[in-house]
Amino acid sequence: MIKVENVHKRYGLRKILNGVSFTAEKGQITCLIGINGAGKSSLLHAIMGLTPIHGGHIAIDGQPLGTAGYERIAFVPDHLTMPPGMRINEAMRFMEDFYKGWNMARANDLLRFFGLESTERLGNMSKGTAAKFSLMLGLGQDTDYILMDEPFSGIDLFSREKITEVFSSELIEGRGVLFTTHEIAEMERLMDKAVLIQDGKIIRSFDCEAVRYQEGKSVLDVMREVYQS
Amino acid sequence: MENEWDSVAFNSRDPVYLQVVRYFKEQIATGKLQAGQVIPSRRELGAMMKINPNTAQKAYKEMEEQQLIVTEGNSPSRITGDGAVLRTIRSELIGEAVDAFVGSVRKVKVPIDELLDLVRTKYMEEMNRQSGSDEGGTNHD
Amino acid sequence: MKRYLKLVHMEVHRFRYLMLFLMGVILIFQVGAIISVLSRELSQRWDDPTYNGVRSPFVPEGMLSFTWVISNTNFWFAVPMLISVAVIGLYVFFVWYREWLGRSTFIYRLLMLPGARCQIYLAKLTAILIFVFSLVSYQLLLLPLQKLLFQMMVPAEWRVDSYWPEVIHANRALDLLIPRNIEQFLSIYGLGIMAVLIIFTGILLERSYRRIGILYGLLYVVGNAIVALYLPDLLGLGLPGTYLYPDEIVGLVVGVCLLLLVLSVVFGFRLLANKITV
Repeated sequence: MIKVENVHKRYGLRKILNGVSFTAEKGQITCLIGINGAGKSSLLHAIMGLTPIHGGHIAIDGQPLGTAGYERIAFVPDHLTMPPGMRINEAMRFMEDFYKGWNMARANDLLRFFGLESTERLGNMSKGTAAKFSLMLGLGQDTDYILMDEPFSGIDLFSREKITEVFSSELIEGRGVLFTTHEIAEMERLMDKAVLIQDGKIIRSFDCEAVRYQEGKSVLDVMREVYQS
Repeated sequence: MENEWDSVAFNSRDPVYLQVVRYFKEQIATGKLQAGQVIPSRRELGAMMKINPNTAQKAYKEMEEQQLIVTEGNSPSRITGDGAVLRTIRSELIGEAVDAFVGSVRKVKVPIDELLDLVRTKYMEEMNRQSGSDEGGTNHD
Repeated sequence: MKRYLKLVHMEVHRFRYLMLFLMGVILIFQVGAIISVLSRELSQRWDDPTYNGVRSPFVPEGMLSFTWVISNTNFWFAVPMLISVAVIGLYVFFVWYREWLGRSTFIYRLLMLPGARCQIYLAKLTAILIFVFSLVSYQLLLLPLQKLLFQMMVPAEWRVDSYWPEVIHANRALDLLIPRNIEQFLSIYGLGIMAVLIIFTGILLERSYRRIGILYGLLYVVGNAIVALYLPDLLGLGLPGTYLYPDEIVGLVVGVCLLLLVLSVVFGFRLLANKITV
């Protein structure tokens, strides 16, 4: 379980996170929903230890992340995480060199699944290819958790369908997935849990099937209610 | 077969797992899934219907509880062979549809004979059109 | 350790073309200068056998030495070296900033590598040192080759042999680059390394605190520079009435510099571990 407890963060004088608390379970798909600037990316960065927090606690399975934690939790940001001069196969070898949990066989499967060319230079990739490549790097690691920041942003329809398939595949089975997206209509039937964030605060966190069952509401319905009130 | 699974349109306000269960019931009622037929694994179902593996799991659990499917040991799940259960599914589906229909048509206050005639004509038209387009589809292939 | 070496290897791999370019520049400038100085001298000698441009008390009348060539190419040796120094100076910044710039933000991956983050810092430092010392050893390797060129161009009857210390001393740039003793080595390369470490920490301050971090970083660098450069004055040493010997003052300065160096490294490690932001 990823447990975020009363986390505060600011950039300069601006408050980005203002007492955020929520959990994301292992074996579940949790979606972090909010308008731009609500603090979603900062929250993912904070969980990954990529930016300091100014209060609160974050624990992965009861422990602080620590540098060994990067073998247990993978992050797919909406940026490339490798130098532009590298080729895809070089990046894969880099991952193999540095991560014990890198699964080269699976990475090669993903390469074929996404239709990536292993000799392509990262600097030349289109936005859609880059997103698939980043996802390949994240899923190629055997980790308990995987975090994704906007895996669909600025991507063509067909790439988006390919990436959506990942969410209903064995690739994420048993893992804890925490991701952010604006494509709620497309993704809502794929998520177990939705966490709504606004102005650096969690305003609602719920089990999607339970809300549909008990209230007959879609995730979008809940969002409309919450953000328009 | 796979194309059919793929094209299931989910609505966003009912629990996805119940929609999956309902889809199975429809397939059983129309004879597309036979008694005792092996069904896809949870994992395969998740991938085919593009749903979360947990939802697929939950749907299977629900179907097991309703005794729609049976799983023995490590062998794959099958549609139940229990005739009584299968018949209930059919009547349940028809009952539900009729309930919904009656619920909305009642407001118009149509005399029952006129209504039944209308239903008969419409239903025949719809069936003819469907079988026509089905044949057209197969001819085309 | 294995991770550190891999990171170093990668850093070296990334600057290899830049280094080869600088090596090319050095080669072209220096060999070009040697050829032009020698051919001018030689052609005048062929035209007028009594001509002698060499004025040196150590070389017999009418003879040419490699030392003379080197002392006449001072400027053309210094130019590529200054270019190299400038490039390396910029590279000290670039080695960090490029991880954040552009669409490929490698800093995400670097920070997410399992293992202590100080390895990233050390790998970058090592890369800079490898860069510097590769160029210095390249220059050392180039000198015998240039001497060979001299021997090939000048007929044996006009040649006098020269000693290496003499050759190096004949060129101000080489004299600085290739220290003759440990004190000189420490004062040039030690100060250089210290400057790199202080700048590294300044950069990490900026990368951690961003806008206000620019101020922190500048203050840190300037503060360190003042302490390092004016330390004897700050301590009131060197004035009449102090009771320390020059050796002791040097020792004190070296000690304080070492302290600053260690502090910079530790501070840098801490920033990288706890304060850095992607």
